[in-house]
Amino acid sequence: MASATFDCEQVNAIPHRLRTLQDVLGTRAAIAQTPKQPIWTLNKATLYRYIPVVPAPKRHRVPLLLVFALMNRPHILDLRRGHSFVEFMINRGYDVYLLDWGSPGIEDQDLDFGDYTLEYMPRAIRKLKAISGCREFSLLGWCIGSILTTIYAALRPDDGLRNLISLTAPLDFSNKESITFARWTDEKYFDVEKVLAAFGNMPAEMIEYGAKALKPVENYVGNFLKLWDNIDDPRLVDAWHAMYTWVTDNIPMAGGAFRQLIIDLYRENRLMRNELVIRGERVDLKKLRANLMTVIAEDDHITPPCQSETLPDQVGSVDKETFRIPGGHIGIMAGSRAHQSTWPHIDAWLAARSD
Amino acid sequence: MSEKTNEKPGSQESYDPFESWRKARDAGMEAWAKTMVEYVNSDAYSQASGAMLDTYLTGSAPFREMLEKIMVRALDQLGMPSRADFASIARRLTNIEIRLDDLDAKLDRMEASRVESAPPGTGRKQKES
Repeated sequence: MASATFDCEQVNAIPHRLRTLQDVLGTRAAIAQTPKQPIWTLNKATLYRYIPVVPAPKRHRVPLLLVFALMNRPHILDLRRGHSFVEFMINRGYDVYLLDWGSPGIEDQDLDFGDYTLEYMPRAIRKLKAISGCREFSLLGWCIGSILTTIYAALRPDDGLRNLISLTAPLDFSNKESITFARWTDEKYFDVEKVLAAFGNMPAEMIEYGAKALKPVENYVGNFLKLWDNIDDPRLVDAWHAMYTWVTDNIPMAGGAFRQLIIDLYRENRLMRNELVIRGERVDLKKLRANLMTVIAEDDHITPPCQSETLPDQVGSVDKETFRIPGGHIGIMAGSRAHQSTWPHIDAWLAARSD
Repeated sequence: MSEKTNEKPGSQESYDPFESWRKARDAGMEAWAKTMVEYVNSDAYSQASGAMLDTYLTGSAPFREMLEKIMVRALDQLGMPSRADFASIARRLTNIEIRLDDLDAKLDRMEASRVESAPPGTGRKQKES
């Protein structure tokens, strides 16, 4: 007959676990480690080229430019060695570039989508073409980054854009009941001008709070319990540490862009209605003709699928595909299974269109 | 049909003091999380959070403005630039960067047309690997 004894090891391990916890919460993990070199800068924005590892003759001809959101660091695309989308794509023979928007200062409070899409992006892309020696290129936009790439692709369809990958893209704001951010930023409750008058830019802390408050228990409690439960597993602790480092390193969003995001998109859904005007040019999605892959995270609570799934019907592209995958907004690209699911799919789709 | 177990008669099962706490915790977490998600998706939450933010912004505005005025005056007295001065200089620098980028683009175009017009084998730019 079995009898229960008190497991002293569990108690004795507590000091060691507390030290690990302190290390993880008090230090920053080494993220974004893939070697890269800056090839262009403008204001806070920098265009990086990742050092290729595949010899030039074996590489795909068409370079790939990554564009991430405005209010987070793009390090999530290159989270940690052995688990990095950038590293994966470089190893698969792509010439990979990253447009890092940097952190806007108070002097950048008027920057808006027009500046990002018609001033910064075309200049960075010109440099990319000069360095790569290729007149065509592919764009991968993620989250707010995909708003920028979509606007750019529709406004500059003849600029050489061959393939557009749109990841968890918040583009369609018609179904307000399903979009929590749309409720919170409704004009009845949220005075965008008052916030920007006070801060100039949308503060990083407020953006971080907003993102976490969508699932408060998971983000403020469950996430830390998950760490504690797995604190003896160095592999899981490293992964958690890297993600925590990224999640807690947010940046402000330029006031002008935030104003457009809330008023023109969240409230008035102008992009999908083809009524968005950028520097006097109307953004007509029918003019977007690049090959398009829309990646939808089925369990995305930040950008629900309804915000992305209508894009293919709106654009003028002939070659278009929608890829739905179980997972959350970040998890589909940075989760533990991303290298078996999302990344190979993106690679397969892009490889067929990059030579 | 009986289940096979690895337990040997007389063996001692170790007792993890945290296990029962974990089970109780996990049982409650899911329900708590669901309730909270429902709450943050309600109009009541939107209204409450909006009101809190508005109260903070309205209440702090006079202090911010006063602090701003005092700082500007103090920096002016000390002969030091204010935040607005720095912002203005930064914007001017960005404009200069844009001009430089335009020049860079022109040089690239000139180089490209020179290479294209050069006879084969003379002066062709080595493509970067």
